[in-house]
Amino acid sequence: MANSASLPALSSSPNDLRKKKRANRSAKLKQCKLDARRDQWLSQVKNKGSNGESSPPIPSTRPTGPRKLDPPRDNATESLLGLQDSETERRIARKDDRPCSSSISSGCFSCSATEDEEEEDGDSTALDDWEAVADALIADHHHHPEEPKPSITAPVPTPAPPSVALKPPEPRAWRPDDAFRPSSLPNLSKQRSFDVGRGFRNGGHAVVSVSVPSSCPICYEDLDVTDTSFLPCSCGFRLCLFCHKRILEADGRCPGCRKPYGMILDGSPPVFLLSRSCSMNIR
Amino acid sequence: MTVLFYQQASRARLFKEYKEVQREKSADPDIQLVCDDSNIFKWTALIKGPSETPYEGGVFQLAFVIPEQYPLLPPQVRFLMKIFHPNVHFKTGEICLDILKNAWSPAWTLQSVCRAIIALMAHPEPDSPLNCDSGNLLRSGDTRGYRSMARMYMRLTAIPKKGS
Repeated sequence: MANSASLPALSSSPNDLRKKKRANRSAKLKQCKLDARRDQWLSQVKNKGSNGESSPPIPSTRPTGPRKLDPPRDNATESLLGLQDSETERRIARKDDRPCSSSISSGCFSCSATEDEEEEDGDSTALDDWEAVADALIADHHHHPEEPKPSITAPVPTPAPPSVALKPPEPRAWRPDDAFRPSSLPNLSKQRSFDVGRGFRNGGHAVVSVSVPSSCPICYEDLDVTDTSFLPCSCGFRLCLFCHKRILEADGRCPGCRKPYGMILDGSPPVFLLSRSCSMNIR
Repeated sequence: MTVLFYQQASRARLFKEYKEVQREKSADPDIQLVCDDSNIFKWTALIKGPSETPYEGGVFQLAFVIPEQYPLLPPQVRFLMKIFHPNVHFKTGEICLDILKNAWSPAWTLQSVCRAIIALMAHPEPDSPLNCDSGNLLRSGDTRGYRSMARMYMRLTAIPKKGS
């Protein structure tokens, strides 16, 4: 009796072992794939850095390759958190950097905004006035007419996605300051909540001058008419009603400035009514 | 029901982030984000150690586990490789970074989290250490000790293999 009971157990254990082995193998495979991808990627970057030198990525040669690419990157990452030499300054900057820069770009992701300012040799960082920033950006467009072009011809529909949505066959989008731009086009621009690196300048310009994004920076769904007229926070961070409701149910802080929504909106109950009615009929 | 709905929302957002990452692959040469083939809630990132730090020349692998309430809740990120840094747990790879905890904002993305981690690598915060040895070295002013330890571990674990 005991034998017959123990037999299945014995026979099942090799099965388990096999299963484990298989799992191990697949994990190893995955790691291999990742390693291969990493190496491939590294060699790509290296080749780019060392002007198409086709030698394999040897660690000892590393200073020649990637270093060329690194300094601007480093600046950008530094500006991301507003990091400075002194630690206390750094702490403060980390907290303050987001709200203020996001108010400049009106809810645009602060990191990309600061990055953008970094690129412009700090001349626009000195300006705290919105209009001045807008003017400076426009002036910048005239100074470097070749700058914005790549971003327009690139597949990234940076400057005016709403217009793209209206006229899909148009191969290129209109710049907001383009003289040939039809006046019938809405003066909206996509809110860049992503890293944008190149091509942000256009988006940044448009956001500064008009400040209504076309998609919610939280869920990336398009903002409808109700959403675009919905301004839940004084910092100017816009989002869709659905995301706003979800945030109210959670920690209730504005994603743009991290201040609690209720405190800023004490005097305007309609906003809350709106968000509630939104929750009734889920879109 | 609502849970399923939220999961769908975060899935949609992750999918859009994925598309954005594919589209702007060359925008950030220091970061490569790879989504798991079968699960969009699991990502891996490869980040390059920032220049002029002991991590320069290393490539560090990060594992992202994304909660179903994302982006309302931050992703869980940890280093898969040993890294000697005051704000990274040496054994688990856990990262002590305010934006991954209470200072998280749904406006952040996986890409921006990677960028914040690169910034943290360049600017360690020895006053809230997860790796006490590393934190103590920095706090006692032994920058050289910290740098050489960090570089040693970087060379041991994060240098890409030769000849591949």
